[in-house]
Amino acid sequence: MAESKPMNPLEMLAYVLSRQINDHEVVYIGTGLPMVAGILAKKTHAPNITFVYESGGQDPIEGGMPWSVGGPETYRKSPMILEMPYSFGQAAMGLVDTGFLGFAQLDMYGNANTTMIGGEFTNPKVRLTGSGGNNDVASLCEKIVFVGIQSPQKFVSKVDFITSAGHLTGGNARQESGLLGQGPVAVVTTAGVYDFEPDTKRMRIKTLHPGVSPELAQLASGFELVRPEGEIPVTEIPNEEILELLRNEVDPQGFFISMPGA
Amino acid sequence: MSSFQFEYNQEAVKNLKIEDTSILDRLVDYRHARDVRHKKDHSQRDKRMSLSEAVSEFVQDGDILGYTGFGYVRTSLQSDWEIIRQGKKGLQSIGSPNTCQSYGVTFGNTPYTHASYAGAEMRGYDKYFSENIKSGAVKILSDWSHGLMGLGFKAAQLGLPGVFAKSGLGSDLVNYNPYLKVINNPMVKNGDPCVFVPALCPDITFIHVHAADMYGNARFYGPAVNDLALAGATRKLVITAEEIVSNTDIRWNNKGVQIPFQNVDAVVELPYGAVPGYMPGCYYWARRWWEKTFAMMSEGQEAMEKHVREWILDTKDTREVLKKLGGIDFMINQKRLAKAAEADNEDSGVEFKYEPWTPNTPPDVFD
Repeated sequence: MAESKPMNPLEMLAYVLSRQINDHEVVYIGTGLPMVAGILAKKTHAPNITFVYESGGQDPIEGGMPWSVGGPETYRKSPMILEMPYSFGQAAMGLVDTGFLGFAQLDMYGNANTTMIGGEFTNPKVRLTGSGGNNDVASLCEKIVFVGIQSPQKFVSKVDFITSAGHLTGGNARQESGLLGQGPVAVVTTAGVYDFEPDTKRMRIKTLHPGVSPELAQLASGFELVRPEGEIPVTEIPNEEILELLRNEVDPQGFFISMPGA
Repeated sequence: MSSFQFEYNQEAVKNLKIEDTSILDRLVDYRHARDVRHKKDHSQRDKRMSLSEAVSEFVQDGDILGYTGFGYVRTSLQSDWEIIRQGKKGLQSIGSPNTCQSYGVTFGNTPYTHASYAGAEMRGYDKYFSENIKSGAVKILSDWSHGLMGLGFKAAQLGLPGVFAKSGLGSDLVNYNPYLKVINNPMVKNGDPCVFVPALCPDITFIHVHAADMYGNARFYGPAVNDLALAGATRKLVITAEEIVSNTDIRWNNKGVQIPFQNVDAVVELPYGAVPGYMPGCYYWARRWWEKTFAMMSEGQEAMEKHVREWILDTKDTREVLKKLGGIDFMINQKRLAKAAEADNEDSGVEFKYEPWTPNTPPDVFD
């Protein structure tokens, strides 16, 4: 049976991310691992959250895992379905609490890149997907939470392209730029959970996963991680019940939470 | 014609290496677009024609082609394929998302794009787009976020020269988009920077709906995405419909009628016009077709030529595509999945599990 297998890093990531979701909030969550976390949250500690989607889907009833942010699971018996400009408008005018975003590259101020890797736009090393709704979510929602695998290639001192603005150059830069909302408040990775120092807005260690020392977390980063004062708490790991939920109900086919080759 | 001279973001023009900015003009020439719409015949008349007639008459080489729906959800993909079949050239693609722009690059139909999102979400990453940018097969004329592009279409729909937005500030999008500038909100003395988004007017757009009458009044449900805006923003609009209904039916069952006839140039009866994509309430994606297509994109030009030739150039019309996807079985199974996914039908016992596409998947399995 699935539940006898030990927890893998993606399951840990999904659980830890789900703990960032507060009950009763309206949340913007993209497909993939963030959606696994969202559905897990709704089935556990945050049953009263509302999912909203950029294609227009709002507040669907429970169903399968959405494969697309425009697919049927996003508008399944929705009371109403909006359009894209209004959907982002809701975030801009104060009705979306938290947006969850992935990243190809992330810097110490929470600026993210999903556009390109390389130095030359017209001749990139790799062109990625582009912004999609990422820039809008990052610019307009009240709070942003990033999630991703941590490595020195992804946690970089300077992103190759700022697709989504975080705290920009730190300090008050975000407010001065005219952007709305508080910007990034947390980053969840395979190493730990990070927040942002109130004054400098630099990424700071909040908790580290079991077995991850500050030195190890630093090795997996291309920029200096701020360490908090005092002992660094260990991230809470999912219990058997959560793992069972993840494996049997949330992502039974294991598309997002099974490790390649496992 | 408009007497406007356009003021582009010069830093972006430089960064994008655009030598002659006149190629950018028509997208934001809202006065010209107004002229085009004003001069049309505004009468309520029978606008029905075949897909091949509509594409032949309303798509000109060099047009700016708007993509509708959500990449592969209620997207008039069969119109896009007919455009490629007819060999239209020099087109600029624009859409949020812009999932399907890569097919048009294979044989040179859409060498220009206004980018926002390329790829098929969890079904595939568009490596072909990356390679095409490097080889010059496709040129990015502007880089957008979904929200900013949507606002451009919305401004055009509302007849506005543009809107002040809050997306894009502080990001590199404003450095790689000749149409965007940061300017202060004129109502605020002490600084409220905004991104001005001009009205965006594509030349031709195909919107796939559930039902339309012969005049063009169109009824659809599911995510509207940018279609309400595009129906107003575009210079030319073709409605492709699962069914053509009477004007009486459109009036009596008008819940969901969201596009008025005045905006429409042609109406095409096109059941399954959204295949291989998803049509709300009607048919589920051909999942493994998408996975295979994006695997072919990863393999590159030779694989894409073979794939586009097989599916687009060598098929005559939507019926042939449907037969290739699995014909009757495909139609029955995908309808069942769609209705269960939307909780219209009993979903317990409806199986969504499947084996994702690999090179070992039988060659006729696409669902």
